[in-house]
Amino acid sequence: MKTFNTMLKTEMKLSLRGMDMLIFAIFMPIIVLVVLGIIYGDRPAFEGASYTFLEQSFGAVVSIAISAGGVMGLPLVISDYRGKKILKRLKVTPAQPVIILLVQITIYGLYALTSLVLLYLIASVFYSFRMQGDILQFLLGWLLVLISMFSIGIMVGGLAKNIKIAGILASLLYFPMLIFSGATLPYEVMPSAMQKVADLLPLTQGIKLLKATSLGLPVENVLPSILVMLVIAGVCSFVSIRFFKWE
Amino acid sequence: MENVIVVEQLSKSYGDLVAVKNLSLSVKPGSVFGLLGANGAGKSTTVECILGTKKPDGGSISILDLSPIHDRKTLFEKVGVQFQEAHYQESIQVGELCEVTASLYKNPTDYKNLLEQFGIADKLKAPVKELSGGQKQRLFIVLALIPNPEVVLLDELTTGLDARARRDVWQILNKLKGAGLSIFLTSHFMDEVEVLCDTICILKKGETVFYGTVSEAIKNSPYEKLEDAYLWYSDEEDNKHEDL
Repeated sequence: MKTFNTMLKTEMKLSLRGMDMLIFAIFMPIIVLVVLGIIYGDRPAFEGASYTFLEQSFGAVVSIAISAGGVMGLPLVISDYRGKKILKRLKVTPAQPVIILLVQITIYGLYALTSLVLLYLIASVFYSFRMQGDILQFLLGWLLVLISMFSIGIMVGGLAKNIKIAGILASLLYFPMLIFSGATLPYEVMPSAMQKVADLLPLTQGIKLLKATSLGLPVENVLPSILVMLVIAGVCSFVSIRFFKWE
Repeated sequence: MENVIVVEQLSKSYGDLVAVKNLSLSVKPGSVFGLLGANGAGKSTTVECILGTKKPDGGSISILDLSPIHDRKTLFEKVGVQFQEAHYQESIQVGELCEVTASLYKNPTDYKNLLEQFGIADKLKAPVKELSGGQKQRLFIVLALIPNPEVVLLDELTTGLDARARRDVWQILNKLKGAGLSIFLTSHFMDEVEVLCDTICILKKGETVFYGTVSEAIKNSPYEKLEDAYLWYSDEEDNKHEDL
């Protein structure tokens, strides 16, 4: 526990010193939320909807920090630490090398959680946001999406040959998901052909789950999305554990 | 314990390439052992097999009567390691790196004392990457000493250092040896080996071509200086002529 805590403290400092996660996981979702707030205010999502457009978008905006940490932050830090042989160095100490991975997962989890809390506060205070669904259900959904996205990132970081390849893969995953899965550009305003393509992105399914639970819509409607999240988490975790490259 | 490190009949190949063949060596408590050889002679592979980060194809290895693979957790409480190149995070500071390293061990020594002894206590808040070559190397020795080890393994400790910095490092190592620490090192520099090592082993293409003390190495060769003797053993001179 001493090792974990000391490492967490230090790695958190290093991460904050790097600034990029502050920008991508903390500031960016807030900017997206504020822009949506400026455009849509407290207008309903559609004629006769019982919830506002912003309430509908909340589930999407909270996924920005999850994907920034999961498919951008994690693959980069894992392949960087492998390249710098920090993982290997831990092998010649009494500590388990896996501890540094757990520390990183905790850090990116904390970013996502901080983002969630900030977005909730800002949306509630400035845009009369209300969580329509059951908060516990929403948090479970959020956790499932987080596990699923993080497992993708750990797999990419664990298998990519070097940081350059990890960087390319992370960009290929992150930017399309950010733009086309509805995390920033609302899914509801996309043409239906584009929506069909978007449906293929894992994060789109995650966002459907987050929207359904935050709006209190019947969970039965998003069973396929839940299944997709579970399968991704299962497959990527299995591949990571089986094939992870420590050096 | 008769020997702190015992390697018997170690062999390791990568595909068709034989990296180490039937290597045996032993390191006595409180002594300095030097593993020498040209690049690609098998030094790094040997070190990695001893540390358990590579699995040998054959032979047996023990450090402090423990196996580096099966007793990893117990063993590395008592063994300090310094790799050839530094392994640290991009923006980490000296104090942070020491603190994290200390947190890996049950009974670490006070790293601030060590930094003091090694004359870099004022660098606590400095980013590691901004240290000079000599300061970095001293820091890496500090890191290897944080566990309060009985044995340290140092891989090419002084490569890339200027003459002054190398002398400083030698002095430190001699002091540590005087305090009873057993040291296993690899090196290209014969002046260093002459100053530090009690026993040396010269590798050539993965095989032992000399094993004994520095004075024996000179005596058994046609030369009077260790450097000449070393080149004679490892045939580096012939290769150079061939290259010409």
